[in-house]
Amino acid sequence: MGFFTISPELYRRYKDQILELSNSFQRDINEHLPPAERKRGLSDREIAERLGLEERVVTEIRCVAERDLYGLEEWEKAIEFKKQACREYVETKIIRFLKT
Amino acid sequence: MTTEAVDAKARIKEFALKRGALVCGVASAESFDGVAPDGHRPWDLLPAARSVVVVGGAPPRAGDWISPLHEHQESMGTSQRIEPVGRQIAYYIEEELGYYALFVPGGVGGGNRPFLSVMLAAELAGLGSRSLAGPILHEKYGMLYYAAVVTTLPLDPDRPLANPVCPAPSCVEMWEREGTTPCINVCPAKAWGCLDGRIENGRFVRTEYKRDLCQTRVYTNWVGGFQKALEATLNEPDKEARKMLLYGSFFTRSLWSITYSGQSQAQCFECIRVCPVGAEYRTKK
Repeated sequence: MGFFTISPELYRRYKDQILELSNSFQRDINEHLPPAERKRGLSDREIAERLGLEERVVTEIRCVAERDLYGLEEWEKAIEFKKQACREYVETKIIRFLKT
Repeated sequence: MTTEAVDAKARIKEFALKRGALVCGVASAESFDGVAPDGHRPWDLLPAARSVVVVGGAPPRAGDWISPLHEHQESMGTSQRIEPVGRQIAYYIEEELGYYALFVPGGVGGGNRPFLSVMLAAELAGLGSRSLAGPILHEKYGMLYYAAVVTTLPLDPDRPLANPVCPAPSCVEMWEREGTTPCINVCPAKAWGCLDGRIENGRFVRTEYKRDLCQTRVYTNWVGGFQKALEATLNEPDKEARKMLLYGSFFTRSLWSITYSGQSQAQCFECIRVCPVGAEYRTKK
């Protein structure tokens, strides 16, 4: 391979842990939470130190995993979600008030 | 803080507002310590950084928010209109004030990671607070787009807001009445959406945001969608079926988007559309 990449085996072994430690799922990140409760995702360097991997390997696994997490059908669901939410908002919150 | 630092901040703010920013604030570089991870702090981008200037503005217009066609607002990219203000501030600091100034690129350094969190910078500069829905909300304008400049210029820093903008009083009332908020209700993590949280005594005590799921909605027809569709196309053995994928509406709209040919990069507004913060500013006759 002409550019840096990782083996599928290595990817499968670490992808879930790396996503969990990164900013993929942001739990309790908001600044006005009680200070003891506020958390932040780890940088690739911090994740690498925790898992005993090279930072470049963590970055690569994270990049692939971010894209791999959801299947293509999720993109189609996104279109339907937005179409429905947008129309519902305009029909229930906007049009009836504009007409009065 | 010296008089020079106070004066320079006033000059930069005046410069920014004249060029189209709605708001401008300053965070000290050291305020990122402890809240931004190693590698994503101001001095990781610019050695000896002292301050971060943040400008906000370029929101979608009120008419965009009430269009029943979600594709319309998705095609109305406005985030790039605040970035030139940031670039001009960097130029002004270097040419007029004689200090290093680095415009923080709006793009990402690796995967979904920004070089520096501009949202965090906006929060530390007192321009708003992080919402349950994700974006930083300004008390008057609601969601704005932001740009940031890291500089070696010492400036009088602003402070993060003492009281969060989110949850708004009407959201607290809704929570007490229905156990949800407008944004959670429209995009609930419990029903395959992105958001969850809990309010006690008028404040969030727990928040949850599924960023990568949100990406499928905010960037539906963008790099991620393109990669997914390309993968499906490469895996499709039938020549005619491949054509349906390649020439179809999804792939076509994604190409328009990733080549910046008239499609916006921000493609989901549903949690903010129902947000009461900034609603008055977005309401017209």
